[in-house]
Amino acid sequence: MITTVEEIQRSTSTAMRSGELARVRESRETVGDYSVPDARMRCRDIEVWYGDKRAIHGVNLDLGRNEVLSMIGPSGCGKSTFLRCLNRMNDTIDGCRVSGSIQLDGEEIYDRALDPVPLRARVGMVFQKPNPFPKSIYENVAYGPRIHGLTTSKAELDALVETSLRKAGLWDEVKDRLEAPGTGLSGGQQQRLCIARTIAVSPEVILMDEPCSALDPIATAIIEELIDELRANYSIAIVTHSMQQAARVSQRTAYFHLGDLVEVGETNQIFTNPQHRLTEDYITGRFG
Amino acid sequence: MTESINPPITDLARGHTVSRYDQELAKLRGIILEMGEHVVEQIQAAVSALVSREENLAFRVLDREPQVDFLALDADEEVFRVIARRQPTAIDLRIVLALSKIAGDVERAGDKAARIARQSIELDALGGGEDLLSPRLRAALSTLDACACCMFERGISGVARFDVRIALDIFEREPALYEASHAVRALLSDAEQEGLSARQTVCVLTSAHALERIGNHAANIAEQVIYVAEGQDVRFRNREILIETLRHRTL
Repeated sequence: MITTVEEIQRSTSTAMRSGELARVRESRETVGDYSVPDARMRCRDIEVWYGDKRAIHGVNLDLGRNEVLSMIGPSGCGKSTFLRCLNRMNDTIDGCRVSGSIQLDGEEIYDRALDPVPLRARVGMVFQKPNPFPKSIYENVAYGPRIHGLTTSKAELDALVETSLRKAGLWDEVKDRLEAPGTGLSGGQQQRLCIARTIAVSPEVILMDEPCSALDPIATAIIEELIDELRANYSIAIVTHSMQQAARVSQRTAYFHLGDLVEVGETNQIFTNPQHRLTEDYITGRFG
Repeated sequence: MTESINPPITDLARGHTVSRYDQELAKLRGIILEMGEHVVEQIQAAVSALVSREENLAFRVLDREPQVDFLALDADEEVFRVIARRQPTAIDLRIVLALSKIAGDVERAGDKAARIARQSIELDALGGGEDLLSPRLRAALSTLDACACCMFERGISGVARFDVRIALDIFEREPALYEASHAVRALLSDAEQEGLSARQTVCVLTSAHALERIGNHAANIAEQVIYVAEGQDVRFRNREILIETLRHRTL
């Protein structure tokens, strides 16, 4: 009989190795099917360079319609960098180069002729830290539609603001104080305001970069519930350090490691029976 | 993704970054292994009591039965604790789920040992002497005991190592178990020739059935060993096909 921790660790290791050889392969190729039929966004051979340093290594990944795709991995693995490629946010970083193909509904988003400003309306982004404008709640939501010319009258804009706040699950909490400053809301409310601001410009895709990392568990639960509701109308890609969150909110999960997309698959499969040993190491907390 | 970068050395034997997590999993597995050791002793003592007609041994088995039950409660508590505190995933989740089910099988195997001990005591109450069981019936029971006990011990070894080969070995022993069980039933079908009354026959038959069930619990444990090692739930699968698949895989 074995009883010591070391022996049991060793035997766990034996069990991990005794599985199908493919499950613990050391290959640097992506394990799992990165493509989905009728993808909203299709990324092929994406490489990102910061000067001489390559941050992303030939990543292929699709984002399906009405799905939440979570991207997980240790710090510096390239998941946020990859996310920022999806609406050309990396364009704003000096020395950053992106190669490969990213298509949104079949349209190449890195086409020189394509204006990144309307693209960022179609592919909205929610950041780690809530960042409402130093304006009223109403103005935070109305700003985007106004500059993109999405409404023609005040009544139409009012309706759009209400709809967006309702979709973000914030309307009932702020309908009586729309002129109050957005920065006066709680952290969770501010994040939902940012989501309302993103929704207001009718995006097709919403990118979320650790949207709950600055929130308490209750605010996090509200945002996660919201993500599930938003999935009915949008495609969502979320970067998160919380594996439980990835398991809760997403239908597919992609695991990044040192700039490689190591494994992608159904979230249920990734969290119960990952095929690549790096994925297994990471999600079971065996990463040193 | 053709250019390779130096992958980090991921020594799976290294354990979790949070070492306390390893200790908690080790504690859970240690409880199951301890239960297994107790149950093996219980089975051996119960069968000795039955075959050798040692009443004291049978009572000792019944006295010790709660030990296994208490360990089963400890195992359940540890399972709850690990799930609540660590939210295990992947192989850790499979280990915790499997150990939870294995704890149930081990505990029920312990119940079977107690059942055999009760039958032994009842035989004594019915007035059976040392030579109540014929030599060939004793031999048949010993063969069945050897099969069941060996399978169960292998099952516990499987928990210690999560080795698919051990699971395969258990499955391969199942036909011998059923054959030994059938042999006991065949002898008991002619109770008159064995010189047993109807009630005595029921006692021996119940004991034989309990031994067969112990072998079944071992097979259940083997299924969980495969679940941990392979991530495949092989319950309810055709056993012959499964054995062939495992043989091919472990070559």
